[in-house]
Amino acid sequence: MKFDVIIIGGGLAGMTAATALQEAGLKCAVIAEGLSLHNASRREFSTAGGTLLTGDRVTEGQFEDNRLLSVRTEKLEDVLLEADSFILATGKFFSKGIVADMDKVYEPLFGLDVEYEEDRSKWFDPSFTAPQKFLEFGVRTKDGCALKDGKPIVNLFPAGEILSGISSAQSDATEQIKKSAQDAVTAIRRK
Amino acid sequence: MPVKNEFDVIIIGGGITGAGTARDCAMRGLRVLLIERQDIATGATGRNHGLLHSGARYAVKDSESAEECIRENKILRHIAANCVEDTGGLFITLPEDAETGYGLDYQATFLEACNSAGIEARAISPREAIDMEPSVNPTLIGAVVVPDGSVDPFRLCSANVTDAVLHGAKVLAYTEFLDFIREGDTILGVKVLDTRSGEKAEYRAPVTVNAAGIWGHGVAEKAGVHIGMYPAKGALLVFGHRVNNVVINRCRKSADGDILVPGDSVTVIGTTSTKVPFEECDNMEVTPDEVRLLLREGCALCPSLSSTRILRAYAGVRPLVADDSDPTGRSISRGIVCLDHESRDGVKGFVSITGGKLMTYRLMAELATDAVCRKLGVSRSCTTAETPLPGSMDGRIESVSKRFEGKPTAGQKSAAGRQGDMVNKIIFETEADKQLICECENVTLAEIKYAVRELGVRNLQDLRRRTRVGMGTCQGTLCIRKAAKALAEALGQPELAPKLAADYLDERWKGMRAVGWGDTLREMEFMQRVYKYQKPYSYDEV
Repeated sequence: MKFDVIIIGGGLAGMTAATALQEAGLKCAVIAEGLSLHNASRREFSTAGGTLLTGDRVTEGQFEDNRLLSVRTEKLEDVLLEADSFILATGKFFSKGIVADMDKVYEPLFGLDVEYEEDRSKWFDPSFTAPQKFLEFGVRTKDGCALKDGKPIVNLFPAGEILSGISSAQSDATEQIKKSAQDAVTAIRRK
Repeated sequence: MPVKNEFDVIIIGGGITGAGTARDCAMRGLRVLLIERQDIATGATGRNHGLLHSGARYAVKDSESAEECIRENKILRHIAANCVEDTGGLFITLPEDAETGYGLDYQATFLEACNSAGIEARAISPREAIDMEPSVNPTLIGAVVVPDGSVDPFRLCSANVTDAVLHGAKVLAYTEFLDFIREGDTILGVKVLDTRSGEKAEYRAPVTVNAAGIWGHGVAEKAGVHIGMYPAKGALLVFGHRVNNVVINRCRKSADGDILVPGDSVTVIGTTSTKVPFEECDNMEVTPDEVRLLLREGCALCPSLSSTRILRAYAGVRPLVADDSDPTGRSISRGIVCLDHESRDGVKGFVSITGGKLMTYRLMAELATDAVCRKLGVSRSCTTAETPLPGSMDGRIESVSKRFEGKPTAGQKSAAGRQGDMVNKIIFETEADKQLICECENVTLAEIKYAVRELGVRNLQDLRRRTRVGMGTCQGTLCIRKAAKALAEALGQPELAPKLAADYLDERWKGMRAVGWGDTLREMEFMQRVYKYQKPYSYDEV
């Protein structure tokens, strides 16, 4: 199955980007686990003709050179979902967009490069209400593209809270999240 | 001018030892003052496994401690029935233990030592062990069943304090010991600071008991007496649910992280043993290395721990009496040290009770009270081994919960489980009283009001120690604003709510920071999100 853009993650960032791209005439699919699916934009996206794969999750990606070619999902295991571009909007720790274990912080789906503080003692402020460093962790980008082993994946654009420096946990980050989604849309439409 | 004593004895320290001593002294007719710089059970009393030792752990190396343990184990099951859960315990032998000299030969030695110490122990097959405790490491090659259990140290301490008060003792929490009142070689009383009001006061009694745990070192120094104490830090981890129903121990020489204890809705693994400087005793942080070690050893007892969320980490300091020849602190007997400073150091009117462990607190209290009575010329004998504590006087929970009209709600059942026969004093007047404030631990508004009225609760930490508010799976994430509001109103100071909630969250945050990765980190992000627009300090309504 072939799309122009596959958006992984159906939260605010994913649905904002997906709806904008679909309404601009690109054939889009959103793969979202469901819990965090943004309901208002979900209707908008479907009305515009987008494909919604809910209750499913990406299990692996096929890379060639510096491009992501396709992904597989848990439910559509035999079907290769191909696209020219991908948006990764799987969020931060709570939604498992990035994962911390005892020794490192990583992006679990594709092993993208993550920016984080190696010294664990600096992750947290003792005061609950003070700014917390760990909320700033997230994937690195170069010109909007994700990095893997330091090299850009030219058609994979992270958006929303998976990005380092964006978190809505302590304050309202709606505008920042929407902007990161629009940046991804702009980058894809320019191609 | 003759000195007028308002009290016969002043006890410094509101941990389990001080609380037990206050109770024993009060039951023997003495006029008692107990002072505690924070809340009761804030030191090592509230920072251990909550294990009701059978004594088996000490049987091979220290038969005296083992015998003490099993005697007190049986006593606590009777006098503190409401604080004890009869889980039973297993000592398991793993294949790798055989390689280090702790195979089935050692198990035979262990069994023999247990039985000669009076601890009922019997070997069972690995299959039987798995049937008894399905979470146990299935590769085990042998297991021994012993009468271990779990004990809620907060509840036990609170019950002792409550009973001391019922027998006429005066208990001053948040009252810090500053110095002794002294005349020549005689201690006449104490100078204290009310840490809330900032006011200083003096209290006099012919005998003062130092029951301040590791802080007793500093208390003794103020009397010009040196007790060579040994601060041994022990770190523990709490897991997100009750993984095991039976205490699991390793059948080998005592080592780090070899006891897994189920307690109420959670499971606790511990502990480590590291010498720490006295300055650190007030602010224990659990290190990544300690967490790593506890996890590794915990997974050997119970493999499913590797995929269980860690709720938090905490550490306490054992008040051991120093023996500089052993740097690890493990081979020191956890023996009781009761010092009459008149015969030892020539300081009159001063007794220290230290060493020992949670399990032997009652015996420690008995020894200390005996020493006090000798000084006062009082000859009444100890009755604490036969007299049940408040909450444990009326048999089991089942009979207690029959007191409610109609079918008890979940909150009422849990309250009966926690407060035992004291549940009579919880007033369920309105429907609102029955509403659950903490849904992990089933704590009702009525129980919170009761804790303020009867148990001297002043803040959310105090409340947690007596009702388990916020101790469950969500660590207060979903209930703390509600609990803060309910508590502040019960205290008659609704404006306190934001401060109560903020202080509580900082404390929970501390325990989570030490284990901030994996699902715990997810919970931490979630917790931040929940309070985003409702910062605990800008709290105004629920």
